Formats: sequence, structure tokens, C-alpha cells
Amino acid sequence: MTREYDVVVVGSGAGGGAVADRLIPLAKKGAKIAVLEAGPHFTKEDFTQRELEMMGLFWYGGAWPLKNGSITLAAGKAVGGSTVVYTGVTFRVPDEVLEDWAVPELDSSDLAPRFDRIEKDINVITPGEDMVNDNNRLFKEGCEKLGWPVETIRLNLKGCDQNGYCNLGCAAGGKRGTLEVQIPRAIEAGIDIIPNCEVERVAGGKVYARVTEAPDGSRPGPWPAGGVEIGARRVVLAAGSPGTPAILLRSGFGSSLKTLGQYFTVHPALTVYGVYPGPIKNYRGFPKTYYTPKFSDSHGHYIETAFYYPFVSTKHLGLWGMELKNTMKQYDRFMTMIILNHDEALPTNRIELDKKGRPVLNYKISEATVESLCHAQAQAARIFFAAGCEKAIMPCADRKVFKKGEVADEDLEKFIDKRNFIPIKMPLSSAHPQGGARMGRDERDSVTDGWGKVHGQDWLYVADASLFPKSSHVNPYLTIMALADRVGQRLVETSDEWSA
Amino acid sequence: MSDVYRLEYLRGRKLKVFLAVADRIIPPEPDCPGGGTMAAAGVVDWAMRRIDDSLRKQLLGLLLGVEVLGIFFGGLPFTMNGDGAKDRQLRWMESCPIPPLRMGFFGLKSYVCMGYYTREDVWPTINYGGPLLPERQYADPVARKLCSGEMEVTQ
Repeated sequence: MTREYDVVVVGSGAGGGAVADRLIPLAKKGAKIAVLEAGPHFTKEDFTQRELEMMGLFWYGGAWPLKNGSITLAAGKAVGGSTVVYTGVTFRVPDEVLEDWAVPELDSSDLAPRFDRIEKDINVITPGEDMVNDNNRLFKEGCEKLGWPVETIRLNLKGCDQNGYCNLGCAAGGKRGTLEVQIPRAIEAGIDIIPNCEVERVAGGKVYARVTEAPDGSRPGPWPAGGVEIGARRVVLAAGSPGTPAILLRSGFGSSLKTLGQYFTVHPALTVYGVYPGPIKNYRGFPKTYYTPKFSDSHGHYIETAFYYPFVSTKHLGLWGMELKNTMKQYDRFMTMIILNHDEALPTNRIELDKKGRPVLNYKISEATVESLCHAQAQAARIFFAAGCEKAIMPCADRKVFKKGEVADEDLEKFIDKRNFIPIKMPLSSAHPQGGARMGRDERDSVTDGWGKVHGQDWLYVADASLFPKSSHVNPYLTIMALADRVGQRLVETSDEWSA
Repeated sequence: MSDVYRLEYLRGRKLKVFLAVADRIIPPEPDCPGGGTMAAAGVVDWAMRRIDDSLRKQLLGLLLGVEVLGIFFGGLPFTMNGDGAKDRQLRWMESCPIPPLRMGFFGLKSYVCMGYYTREDVWPTINYGGPLLPERQYADPVARKLCSGEMEVTQ
């Protein structure tokens, strides 16, 4: 099967959705535009709030392992990409991070108006007290007792019913991800959305992809199952990291772009639990409203509130046997936080391909990350106990489950130590894979220029988190949208040249 | 309970090992079942249909490996060893210096927990209220029936 388009966007998450949105004026003028999505097309009516059933929204069921097994990634595989399963946590990339990226023609004066416009469009709000559940309230109280700063997390929500199942797809449609905002607008403007369409490679204005049958219960796409060759004047890869670097590697760009696949970062995350004396039912209400930036500069981590469902919680706890069973019996008393480490971008941490062309995530946890995560666990224990928890569960502690007062406060850093950090045994996860097709100056230091155009390929752009030269330090979706907006802007501005 | 779910992958010796491992990961109590039940095996078997062939083969192969390794911890295959020997073996695997075995332990543990904690009959034991939209249907009714105990699971 062959198809012809003016622009093909690969991916429909934060990057692909934002590019498609920016291209709507072209579509209205008659340009043929398609968005190819590897995952199925579900809508809010399909989200059942059950872990087992909703695993199909993720690549590898939500546990895409690194090559060495030390971290599993949760990445969305559906129309809407990871915005289907995110919590809507909205951060602008910090100015100091942007300065450190040192990408030509990319600075805060360029991004700020984009952030303003996108935030208005997707309804970014600062949640009020009516959105603070017990877990979040206790986190705030704990931090305040310790004298630590607590910031309110901004969220992109509208009509949120606070059902708490954000990470299994929002049944209320309250999360204003691309599934709810940009993709419906794109469809309305005549842009074709092609679900279940996985791109194998791109070459010289062609996209080679394979369409599979729509899974039961999802919306069928317009194309039949089978291979497809799509001609396009411009191609935008927004398949995320590691998806986009893998497509570029399969397409043979690795020989000319030496940094392709490199500088892969993941924001290593550790979810930790405290046990409160009474029920706090963190599984009801909005899961995330506060974080503390206290240790961001000094120790490279944020601590945010969090919530996870029973099965996923068992992974985080790092327990088994009666210790697991007895701990889980207190599930309704769990206070939950997530630690996010700002990992260093290294050329040795890279996306490669296996013999079948599938991405292999070659990433080694650094000593600095281990130290940061251990430090963060000690601080999280302090927050739990200050908030009134009777127990804390810390994977790097000498005794994983320990009671308040069992360990003197000044000994927490000795008790929770890197000697207990055994890769794979540590229940590390990531929902923020970044890098692998970094922006920069030229082909010696990067894959694309500051506008996402692949060096030496006028027809090919990247518009997702793989552009990040280093970790964004913060939850990345808004920064992805702003960078994708730049790509869309460039395509619109140059459309007279490439559409002629 | 009218419908029957016939296990496709967890059969024979592999099923026995899975049930034995699951009962150590989530031990049974007089008033509360453990992880090693046919109901749990059914959920795991259903989930195994949806994973990559090579990963499924690794997991199933690992079950046989666990059985053989039992000899080093209790003198008998895993399923025939006592609880103490089984726990020693699993603890060794958990911190084993050989990364693939470590990964194997956590892979198995993950499936055991999936088979247990996604089931509706378990939720009251952990004081989890379950979904707010319990009647909302899923495209594959088998998953729901397995989790709600509406299907009998057999080999």
C-alpha cells in the first residue's frame, strides 16, 4: 500500500499532538497531513480503572526494561501517547537547565510565550485546597514541620472529577492531554490519525510503516493491516525517546550522526511509602498536588507526592513473603511519595538496536544517582515521620520496614545507605525517558539543530523528548510541547518553500 | 461459576512451580489465601498471552530453572523442598550476583503479585475500594471474569 502526504507526523503524544496542532492552519489550506501512532485509539469511555486491563495502554505493559534490568520505563502506547497515562504535572523547564543545554537559538525568551499560550490552551491551573487529598495534605504538613519549602504542582485539568486513576487513562476526560485537546482538533481540521501504525524506518522523504489490526475495543483506523510506504514532503518524528532515536538508527543515520542514541536520560525514580496510623485512602482524590524542591540544587532530586494502584505498589515496595502481605494489608494507610533524580547525560548511556531492530536501552546508573536516591530516601523518611506516619519502607535501608523512633533522626543517612543498593533489586522506575536525538550546533555534537531539523536532512524533523540534550530536571511534557511547537512553527513558516 | 479458563502456558510442572513460588512470595494464612492459587495462575496466564514470545519463553524457562536449583537449597526440586529451603533459594535469587537470575526473581515476583493483587476478592483484604466505575466493561471479558472469580481455571 502506498500513500502520499505533505507532512507525516510520527507519534501523537505531547510532541506529535503539539506539532499536529500547529499544522492545523496548513491543513485548513488543503495540505495533506497524517499522524501515525503505534498504539491503538482508545477514548475516555474505554478506560476501566483496572490495572490488568489498562496495561495495554503502555509499551511492554508499563515495564519496558533497560538492558541491564535496573530500571523499568512506563511509556504510553496509544493515541495521545504518554499524555494518556500521565498525571498532568506541569513544569516549565527551569532557566538554568535551558542555559546549561546551550542550544543555539533556544532560550527562555523564545519559550516563555509558547509556555503561556500552551498552558492557556490546555488549561494549566494551580490546584486549590479542594483538590488536596489526605496524602498531599500530610506531605505538606510534614515538610512544613521540617521547615522545608513546599510548592504546589501546577496541573492541566478541566472537569477533573478527582477519581484518582490518572495513570490508567482518565475516564472523565479531565486531563487535558493530546487525546482530549490537540488530537480532536486535528481530526476536525482534516488531519488523518492512523492508529496501530508502527514506523520501521524513514528514507529520503519516505516513511515505511506497518499497520496492525486494531485491538478489541479500540477505534479502528482508516488503513488496512499490512505494510505501507508513505511519501511525504516533510516528516516529523515524535515517537518519543527511545522511539524516535530507534527509528533514526534503523534508518541508517547512525553513521553520519555520531551522537544518535547517546545522552539518554531517564529521571530515575523511586516510589516510597510510609504507613499512617489511620486510613488516608490515597487511592481517592487527585494524586499529586505538592513537591519539595529543597534538595534539587544540593542533591539532585525532587520529592513529589504520588499514588499507585495495588499491583504496581508491590513492585515499589521491594518486599515479599509475609512482610509484603502484611504491609499491603495497610494499603489504605499508605502515604506515598516519588523521588525523581536529575540524572547526568552521558554518551555511554545510549539507545541501540538489537538484531531485530528493536531498541535496546543501554543505561548504567551512576554513583551520583545512587547517592542522590539514598539521600532522598532519608529525607522522605523524615517527611513521613513528621507527617505522623508510624512506619516507613525504604528499599536502601538496613531494615526496609522500620518504625518511627527505631532509628535516630541523625542516623537516617547511615541507616539508608548505598551499600544496600543492588541494581535490579532496587525497584527503580522511569516515566520520563529523554535524549538520544539531542539538539545542538552541528553533526559533531548533536542530531538536530535548535529547531529540531535533523542535520543534513531538510525533510526530517524531531519533536519530542529525545531532543533534550540533558535531563530537563522536571516532568517534561510541557517542554516537549513547546519544542514541538517550534518545529510546527518552522514548518508553517517554510511551507511555501517545501510545498512548491 | 459457569465459564472455564483453560491455562495455555502455565501447565504441568511449570504450573506446579509457579504455584509453589507464588505461595512463598505471598504466603497463605488461615483466613486469607496466598498467591499460589489457580485463580492467580489464570490471571498470569492471561497476561502471558500479551507479552513478547521471547520474554514469555524466558519466564517459563525460568520456572523450570527454579525447580532444578532447588536441589542446592534443600536437596530436592523446589516444589518438594520445605518452606525454609524455598525461602532460602528465593532470597538467594533476589540478591544473586548473576543479574539474569536476579531479574528472573523480580520478573516472577511481579507476575505473582499481578495474579494476586489485581483480583477483586483480594481487594477487601488490603482495604482497597476498587474502581469507581466497576461496571464499565472491557473489550476482553475474560480478564474481568478472571479477576472477579467468575471463571473456573483448569489445566
